[in-house]
Amino acid sequence: MSAIRVIEIKKGIYEQNDKKAEEIRKELKSKGLFLLNLMSSPGSGKTTTLVSTINQLKGEMEIGIIEADIDSDVDARTIDKTGVKVIQLHTGGMCHLDAEMTRQGIEALDVEGLDFMVLENIGNLVCPAGFDTGATKNAMIISIPEGHDKPLKYPAMFKVVDVVLVNKIDAMEYFDFDLDLFTAYVHKINPEIQIIPISAKNAQGMEPWFDWIREQVAQQKA
Amino acid sequence: MHELGIMIEVVKQVEEAARENQAEKVEKIVLQIGEIASVIPHYVEAVFPAAVYNTMLEDTILEIEIIPANGRCLKCGKVFSLVTQNGICTCGSEDFEELTGREFILKEIQIS
Ligand SMILES: Nc1nc2c(ncn2[C@@H]2O[C@H](COP(=O)(O)OP(=O)(O)O)[C@@H](O)[C@H]2O)c(=O)[nH]1
Ligand SMILES: [Mg+2]
Ligand SMILES: [Zn+2]
Repeated sequence: MSAIRVIEIKKGIYEQNDKKAEEIRKELKSKGLFLLNLMSSPGSGKTTTLVSTINQLKGEMEIGIIEADIDSDVDARTIDKTGVKVIQLHTGGMCHLDAEMTRQGIEALDVEGLDFMVLENIGNLVCPAGFDTGATKNAMIISIPEGHDKPLKYPAMFKVVDVVLVNKIDAMEYFDFDLDLFTAYVHKINPEIQIIPISAKNAQGMEPWFDWIREQVAQQKA
Repeated sequence: MHELGIMIEVVKQVEEAARENQAEKVEKIVLQIGEIASVIPHYVEAVFPAAVYNTMLEDTILEIEIIPANGRCLKCGKVFSLVTQNGICTCGSEDFEELTGREFILKEIQIS
């Protein structure tokens, strides 16, 4: 029997993913393509927000969507009706996306000529925060019924996002969501985060969000 | 729970390292996991048999070392355990800089 050798590796397991993510980000920059990673709990309004956003912006830029929320193609078919390019990723019950899955999405979508692409991440506030997808920027949606104490419960998510959309403000009067308190909690974790209250369903309050996207798309081409 | 997908990736990385070192067998792997890492040791152990199924790690022993989560208080500078003290320094401050605890490291493999 041969002797046992100990091989020291001492390598972070996510290093591989982080490297891949960095490669994707560089490639997107060279293509002038802005990729947004959109995260939220299930049902906060990712798909609805995407539909309203696409309808507003599709006349001024080429848009593509990578759907991963769940394995069914319900969301992908909803997006398909808007007329933009969409692909459904099969995530096999995973609870987050990683850079490899983004890579698969980019290859399957045929991104030549696109200006703006969104990754609808899997509905989950915990796991997606820990994995770099290679997206240019990260956004999350929280909806009014979820409560203003979410930043206290899921601080990791608020460390990685650039924008928080507070959705379903049309239902404000039925819930005790305190927007000032929410803003204070968020800015304690990350003072850079931009907070935008919207009603995705009625496409209300979304102008600052559209402007943010326009700015990011322009910056990515600069 | 996302441990299975992650452990399948770990198995791939171990197999690669084993091949690079002309190993016939992987006797043991040692992982280091931080107390507040995004993977839970208990679940890592639970999914390990499934992750190694039909790979060269099928008979490999899994060892996990836990790395404590420590923070440095931004007010008084003391280093304290984030988990046992729930993120609150003995001076009462809740503002700290995270030092350790989110690690997830493939420390070593033992091959023959
Ligand atoms: N009242 C209200 N409902 C909304 C709004 N946005 C989305 N919804 C509803 O919330 C549910 C989940 O939305 P969806 O976009 O599928 O969420 P996702 O799981 O994050 O993609 C649907 O029934 C939507 O109609 C909104 O602004 N106001
Ligand atoms: Mg959806
Ligand atoms: Zn202190």
